[in-house]
Amino acid sequence: MAEETLMEMESVQDLIGSAGLAAKIVPGPNDEYYLTVGEPAFDPLVTTLASRKCVLIGLFCTEGFSPDARFSLLYVFEKKNIVLILVRNSDGTATSVARIFPSASWFERECRDGFGIRFDGAFDERRLFLHETYPDGFHPLRKDVRNIPVTMRSTIDVVGEYPFRSVSGNGVYQVAVGPVHAGIIEPGHFRFSVIGEKIFNLEIRMFYKHRGIEKLAEGKTPQEVVRIAEAVSGDESVANATACCRAVEAIAQMTVPERAHYLRTILLELERIGSHLGDQGGMLVDVGFPLGASQFAVLREEVFRMNASLTGSRFLRGMVDVGGLSRDIPKRQLDELGEFIRELKNRYRIGLKIVLSTSSVLDRFSPTGVIRRSLLRPLNITGPMARASGGRVDVRINHPYGLYDRYPPTMKTLNDGDVLSRFTVKASEFLDSLDLIERLLADIPEGGVRTIPEIKDGYALSLVESPRGQDLCWVWIRNGTIERYKVRTASFCNWQAIEHAVQGEIVPDFPLINKSLNLSYAGTDL
Amino acid sequence: MSLSFIIYLVINTLVVLAIAPLFVSIIKKVKAWTQGRQGPSLFQTYFNLAKLVKKETIYSAHSSWIMRITPLVSIAAILVAALFVPLVFVPEPVGGIGNIILLLYLLALAKFFMALAGLDAGSSFGGMGSSREMSISAIIEPTTIIVFAALAFVFKTLNVFTMFSASVASGTTSTPTLILLAISLFIILIVETSRIPVDNPETHLELTMIHEGMILEQSGPNLALMELSSAVKLTLLMALLINLIVPFGLSTTLTLGALVLAIVLFALKGTILAGIIGLFESSMAKMRFFRLPSLFAMAFFFSTLIIIIEVFA
Repeated sequence: MAEETLMEMESVQDLIGSAGLAAKIVPGPNDEYYLTVGEPAFDPLVTTLASRKCVLIGLFCTEGFSPDARFSLLYVFEKKNIVLILVRNSDGTATSVARIFPSASWFERECRDGFGIRFDGAFDERRLFLHETYPDGFHPLRKDVRNIPVTMRSTIDVVGEYPFRSVSGNGVYQVAVGPVHAGIIEPGHFRFSVIGEKIFNLEIRMFYKHRGIEKLAEGKTPQEVVRIAEAVSGDESVANATACCRAVEAIAQMTVPERAHYLRTILLELERIGSHLGDQGGMLVDVGFPLGASQFAVLREEVFRMNASLTGSRFLRGMVDVGGLSRDIPKRQLDELGEFIRELKNRYRIGLKIVLSTSSVLDRFSPTGVIRRSLLRPLNITGPMARASGGRVDVRINHPYGLYDRYPPTMKTLNDGDVLSRFTVKASEFLDSLDLIERLLADIPEGGVRTIPEIKDGYALSLVESPRGQDLCWVWIRNGTIERYKVRTASFCNWQAIEHAVQGEIVPDFPLINKSLNLSYAGTDL
Repeated sequence: MSLSFIIYLVINTLVVLAIAPLFVSIIKKVKAWTQGRQGPSLFQTYFNLAKLVKKETIYSAHSSWIMRITPLVSIAAILVAALFVPLVFVPEPVGGIGNIILLLYLLALAKFFMALAGLDAGSSFGGMGSSREMSISAIIEPTTIIVFAALAFVFKTLNVFTMFSASVASGTTSTPTLILLAISLFIILIVETSRIPVDNPETHLELTMIHEGMILEQSGPNLALMELSSAVKLTLLMALLINLIVPFGLSTTLTLGALVLAIVLFALKGTILAGIIGLFESSMAKMRFFRLPSLFAMAFFFSTLIIIIEVFA
């Protein structure tokens, strides 16, 4: 293990390129590397990282992290299996990296709203999660702001309105959709500029239901924060709880019992199959093929009922806990699960056959809503939607956690990047997850499922593959309580791909494209 | 105008109003069954209409008189159009009444006002619905005219009542023309009543709506009238197809026994056709908007074929 770490360390040093900086790299507790970089060296280093094809997977701010400055900005870069965090101290201003890493744009806007950091040279300085109704100068994530309700502005003058990109020209008109939609879905605003039925430009605006999750977590015990993490996004409950627990466990160097690892992995995969089923059903509803949709909707409901009988929660909540699991699942129920999975596999294949043999469905699915491969790295697009565009990204394979190094999933990638590819990738991931659960059930050892947690101070980054892609979580514990909990779900980055996927498509195809991307509003709006 | 014709007007209107919501429910029921669901009750459409009648009507502040008269114009035009299609009893044609071209343009009148009302409230979804409906109408209209022309060629008349009388007396049509005619009329039925694969009557997605988009701003009794007129339109187009192709049971004399039998048989034939529509809708996804003309072309082609057969046979 030590040898591996050394080798990895060397490759991180290679990545940096500069010997002086490379010497200062510090390994973190969860296979990540930290490097504090001073101001003159920062911008050239970012350019170097960009030229070496690193992806900016996270950028967040924290207060009081370094004695040298009030704020510290943490830039998380990923290249294959390496995760490098650049720590940049700041007293309220920093240079923008959004022109080099476009994924930084939303991150920087998030830091500006939360902490009031000014990014010089940013191409987009509009508000992000704090809409115009919040008062000026209100930066809730600063330590001196108490977590109490804030007086909102009741009216906004025209000058203060959020400026959407305006597209003008002969025959171009705007269609505003949302934030209140006709179905039972969460709020989001879509501003289309269209010519006839053809979409010329789309701009999205999210963050209509900000819950203040990061602020809420501060001062809580790690165990309490796991419950908060579960509430980040419905069908990423296990993923976000696991990410949070893994960070806390890594900080304290806790050993999680073997059986708990097995059960956690089973829960993670159960969550994935439930999400993929709902998603595939939804895509068929949106092309007006309810016969196919019902095949998946029925199975999804049965998966949820299975979840409820295993854990007492349809969304598998309340199980994952610091140190393992909050309770064991008895053997009898695991046997039932095995039986269920076998039956599910057959019934799913029947449903899949119906859909893939209906030419009118295939005609709608392909070639609709193409996401080009060249977008993946700049926007940090992950999950099934990246794999459908040829991206070989999967946290379970690139940064195996828990049991995934012993039970690696099969990565299925396609190159078309359209709705059909996403549907097909999800179908094969679904079947692969079922296989994985069967293998885990066959090998699951007896034993306890929880070690008594021993909380230590420190910080760690953790990555987990949720059904939607890479979920990132950074936990900093000080005096036994959470000082900063940062979570960035896959949807936060993936949402931005939709603006590119719909260009040149027609308006009636938008709901289908949107559904095929399966983006979470809640996971974006913390 | 004879007494029997006046009785026909009353009976036909009552039957079409009474049975139209049932056919809508049957289609929904069949679709639910194909999905393994139980589906709503067969009386659900009646309940919905009753509920809407009790609600208040809300008009957008931007809307004009168009919004207020559209439901009335729509139901009036469609009900008059329904008089052209004998459901259970074929009357003697009365001087000049019953021109098939008029039937066609009564339907177009209702559609025209519906599209205006879609634009009237100023919502983007209404506008999109109207624009799509008009694009489709412009493409389907030549096809509809050719289909009706084929009818005229087959029955050698432009008068609808004469067509039905001839159809009941039978012997005038051969099986191949019947099949081609049935297919053409079925396509017209699907397109005109905004069903899959043209439009999805069950969608909640505003961006994909055509017919639903246009009536999105309607509420209360006005919405009930719009819903009822689309149900009546469905029934009259179904009746056109059923009673021309399978005229069996259609009464030509005004006796109570014959009428009751005709009503029962019509309900039965309508149920079967509604079932076929339900199965047809379940078997495929909605088509891409710009691929729709290929569907219309099929009806156009078959009808042209009928005309060729009729002219040269």
